[in-house]
Amino acid sequence: MSKETPVKERRSAALAKRLHVPKFAMNVVLGLVAIFWLVPTISLLVISLRPESLFGQSGWWKVFTAPSELTLHNYATIFSQGFTTGGVLDSLVTSLEITIPATILVALISSLAAYSLVFGFWRGRDMIFLVIVGLMVVPLQVALIPVVQFYRELGNLFGLNPYGTIPGVIIFHVAFGLPFGIFLMRNFLSGIPKDLLEAGRIEGAGEWKIFYRIVLPLALPAIASLAIFQFIWVWNDLLVALVFLGGNVHTPLTIFLYDQTRSLAANYWIVSTGAVVSIFVPLVVFFSFQRYFVRGVLAGAVK
Amino acid sequence: MSSVTLKELTKQYAGNAALSLDSVSLDVAHGEFICLVGPSGCGKTTALRMIAGLESVTSGEIEIGDRVVNDLAPRDRDIALVFQSYALYPHMTVFDNMSFGLKLRKVPKEEINVAVTDAARILDLEQYLDRKPAQLSGGQRQRVALGRAIVRNPAAFLMDEPLSNLDAKLRVQTRAEIARLHHRLGATMIYVTHDQVEAMTMADRIAVINLGKLEQVGSPRELYDRPANQFVAGFIGSPSMNFVPMHVDSTDGDVRLVSSGGDLDITLNENEKAMIRRAGVGDVVLGVRPEHIDHQARTGLGMQLRASVDVIEFLGNDEHVHLTSGSHELVAIVDARTPLTIGDSLTLSASSEAIHLFHPESGVSLK
Amino acid sequence: MTSITVEGPSVVAPRSRPSSPRGWLRRNWVSLAFLAPGVIWLLAIVVYPTIATIRFSLYDETATKFVGLHNFASVFSTTAILTAFKNNIVWVLVFPFFVTFIGLVVAVLTERIRWATAFKAIIVMPIVFSTTASALVWRTIFDLDPHVGVVNALEQTVSDWLRTPGAYPLNTAIGQTAATLASFNATGATGGTLVSKSVVHPGGTVMMGLTRISAVTLQTLGATTPIAPQKIAGGISGLVWNDFSPSQTSNTTTIVSDEHGLPNLRLSLVSSTGSTVASTVTNSSGDFSFSHVPAGSYHVQIQASNFQNAFEGTFWLGSQSITPTSGLNQTAQSLLSVPLIDLAMIISYIWIWAGFAMVLIGAGLAALNREVLEAAEIDGATEWQKFRRVTIPMLAPVLTVVFVTMVINVLKVFDIILNMAPGSSQGPATTLALSIYNDGFTGGIHSGIASAIAVILFLLVVPIMLWNLKKIKG
Repeated sequence: MSKETPVKERRSAALAKRLHVPKFAMNVVLGLVAIFWLVPTISLLVISLRPESLFGQSGWWKVFTAPSELTLHNYATIFSQGFTTGGVLDSLVTSLEITIPATILVALISSLAAYSLVFGFWRGRDMIFLVIVGLMVVPLQVALIPVVQFYRELGNLFGLNPYGTIPGVIIFHVAFGLPFGIFLMRNFLSGIPKDLLEAGRIEGAGEWKIFYRIVLPLALPAIASLAIFQFIWVWNDLLVALVFLGGNVHTPLTIFLYDQTRSLAANYWIVSTGAVVSIFVPLVVFFSFQRYFVRGVLAGAVK
Repeated sequence: MSSVTLKELTKQYAGNAALSLDSVSLDVAHGEFICLVGPSGCGKTTALRMIAGLESVTSGEIEIGDRVVNDLAPRDRDIALVFQSYALYPHMTVFDNMSFGLKLRKVPKEEINVAVTDAARILDLEQYLDRKPAQLSGGQRQRVALGRAIVRNPAAFLMDEPLSNLDAKLRVQTRAEIARLHHRLGATMIYVTHDQVEAMTMADRIAVINLGKLEQVGSPRELYDRPANQFVAGFIGSPSMNFVPMHVDSTDGDVRLVSSGGDLDITLNENEKAMIRRAGVGDVVLGVRPEHIDHQARTGLGMQLRASVDVIEFLGNDEHVHLTSGSHELVAIVDARTPLTIGDSLTLSASSEAIHLFHPESGVSLK
Repeated sequence: MTSITVEGPSVVAPRSRPSSPRGWLRRNWVSLAFLAPGVIWLLAIVVYPTIATIRFSLYDETATKFVGLHNFASVFSTTAILTAFKNNIVWVLVFPFFVTFIGLVVAVLTERIRWATAFKAIIVMPIVFSTTASALVWRTIFDLDPHVGVVNALEQTVSDWLRTPGAYPLNTAIGQTAATLASFNATGATGGTLVSKSVVHPGGTVMMGLTRISAVTLQTLGATTPIAPQKIAGGISGLVWNDFSPSQTSNTTTIVSDEHGLPNLRLSLVSSTGSTVASTVTNSSGDFSFSHVPAGSYHVQIQASNFQNAFEGTFWLGSQSITPTSGLNQTAQSLLSVPLIDLAMIISYIWIWAGFAMVLIGAGLAALNREVLEAAEIDGATEWQKFRRVTIPMLAPVLTVVFVTMVINVLKVFDIILNMAPGSSQGPATTLALSIYNDGFTGGIHSGIASAIAVILFLLVVPIMLWNLKKIKG
């Protein structure tokens, strides 16, 4: 057996040769599927790049015969609007204000909790882990009403009502990201040999130092997967934002887009441009960390 | 049962300059048990998979019976393959595993039943017919894999290191079972292994393959007594043959072998001298098996050497003694009752028949 | 490496020591402190609220009076909520199967092409978009107007190719037929044609007046003022005109100067036996002529093709039912109708989630033992038999996980309906999650009912998820 070509590749090639379906037909079929899949995304992009006056007059697909229709006018308008409240950029910032802290907090708290569950010496670790993982099954709809009330209680008691604030949304998102986050981190951390921590303890490091300097750097791949998944999940959320920030002045992009569909005038230029902006950020995240994303999806079958 | 013939079979993988199999020709007789042996990566499994039809042929021909099967799909070649990892269908019971091939060929249910229960009986699997592979031990799975092959009643059985995944004891047991099976079915069996003990004990003939080339094919006895080259000589037999480079001294017309740094005396017979003269070489490699080295002095033809004991391996009845003679290291097998200590100086010898001579460059045997 | 024994709080296994609560706490407080934030957070926002919701569902709207299962009874007797159940059932029956199926097909096909990575990225990408944005995109795609929606544009192309619209398309939406256009000397006949009432002989003329022709059509066709026809010896001539004068609305028999002739009308000359003898087309002033007509009496027929109505578009986003429920009463209709928009939304949702199925199934495929497939080949299986009898059964665990995950996903479906359904379709297309939102947070707040729905959702989702979790771990 030759060691140069990996066995699996050779066998796949051998199998593929005996395929009854010719490779050419396969490529054509899949090519068509790929094109079909891209059409919606491309349509959005094209609509946002055409003047609004053309919308409803001629289909966006006509742009292929008249490329001169393309214009950055809509985007220019958005940027010239700047950060005016209720505009696209303002919503973008709000989305970031919600998503980034939520992601960081979930990553941090999950890692801490997972560390305790893997390297702690107290009994009942596995029990508590199972319960936490079990919480993944709770649909967040179930918690909405009481949490709104809970926030109000907090307001009565401490004068700080998180309802209608960005921290209020963040708190909710973190809570529902924790079961999955702890699940992911705990599974990863249990693969780290305990000897590494022993070595650290022998050198006199305290638990926090060990966590911060030994475990955390090693756990970066898992944290990356978790972070990406959590980021995209929170960025794209509508329901939680609606419940807690529905009437707010500053709303995230999802609510911004939703509002546009509710309003009577179909402002397609702003809807499509806003949608492109809202898609752009997770796309960048996705392409930059593609392999972590796939790993996250595989682990995230539960969410 | 059919014969299997390989004619100049060659395999080159795309992107590799080296040939995985280089012009191998082999005639496997109808009903013969032949082993393909060689070190890992030598091409023996490639050859087997090509016979099965799982790898394409770069050049050469494969015949099963009197048909050239190069372009036939595996299912049309009437062969059965027993995989090293058994490759049982995990979602099917033992019965279904064994009957799958027959079901695909639309064999009537009664026939399938008979065939499977027969095979199960031969392999002692009758009580496991309803179990799934996950519920079986390694040895049992191995037997199911064999059963799957038997039920097909193929023209030839192909086996790819079927015993490698079993523990030592089970391996010995299953070895005997396969040998018995061959005797009972009279089937043509082509068996791939890297373990020369398996080959020696089971095969009618052995084909030694190295780096894609067929080194020698013959009965176990032939390979043992008359290895064609240094590779085969060193591969067959355990512990392996000792090799000592010797210098040929042909001054004054006579041929003598001089050891380069050891305390060896070789007295060549006329035959051997003639061979060396014919080869026209200035050096030879002397080969002698550990079991042919006696702990005694010898006069006359043959080899005599003095060496000191380095390591003694006690094996119950024998001792494997690692010796140093000058710059040469050798292994000899002596009776375990011989009192020996490390550092002892021994006188050992071997007869003329036990001596092999190999060409220093090509490795071909001169005898 | 020699081993070193170091005395220290975390190294020595505490179980060998006598356990004193204070000692235990002292040794493990750091570890517990690490766990605390997560646990407290979960207790406050997940555990406690779940219990609270269960409590809410058993109390009335003011949350003071215990009403037992009253809210649940209300839930199951409110048509709007039952509609939500129905829609969730539709989603569960259709979506998971098709998304898993498509994911499987795509995963299998991509194994064999070289640009698999790029292809997979394209299919997976939509997961990254918010469901809100995707809903907006697909809303545009399914738009009724063929100038906006791709689907209707394609439908129109096909429809126009199959049944080319005539120059004077009828508006079937308001019940127009050819017969309703007849004004002077014209009457509706079989096959959607109009036929002249009067009989004409060679050398005669015939005039036919139509009405209810739109000004836009007249303008597009370049209609001009009608000219009274001149007699032709041995032939028949005539005029078809728009018999509507803004200045003399009551005059429906003579030509008025501000009326228009009707161009591009295809006419047939029908003999007394009913066979078509000749055909022609009217010119821009509505005049026409047939020459060299043999003797006999004839009618002039305006062909039906002139009135072929234009493509009207499929209202994909509407709540018209796919299932035949028109004869049923209100409640039965709500329960048994399947709004078309459900189909549109499911298609969009498949676009979003097929990539997920593909990735998981692809991973499962890659993990398959190749030798088992080779064994099947040797056993005699064709590619298809291998796929059906070995590959798919071996993939069963993965397929199940994907399927069940999608079932759970779809039980909670919310964003896509909220954003894709126009106002009129929101009610008929509503789902459980949407009902919770509507009843809990909009309009008049019914926390009792909303909580009851939430509890029902919880009870539906939890056992499935627990089962799924077990499968994933195994």
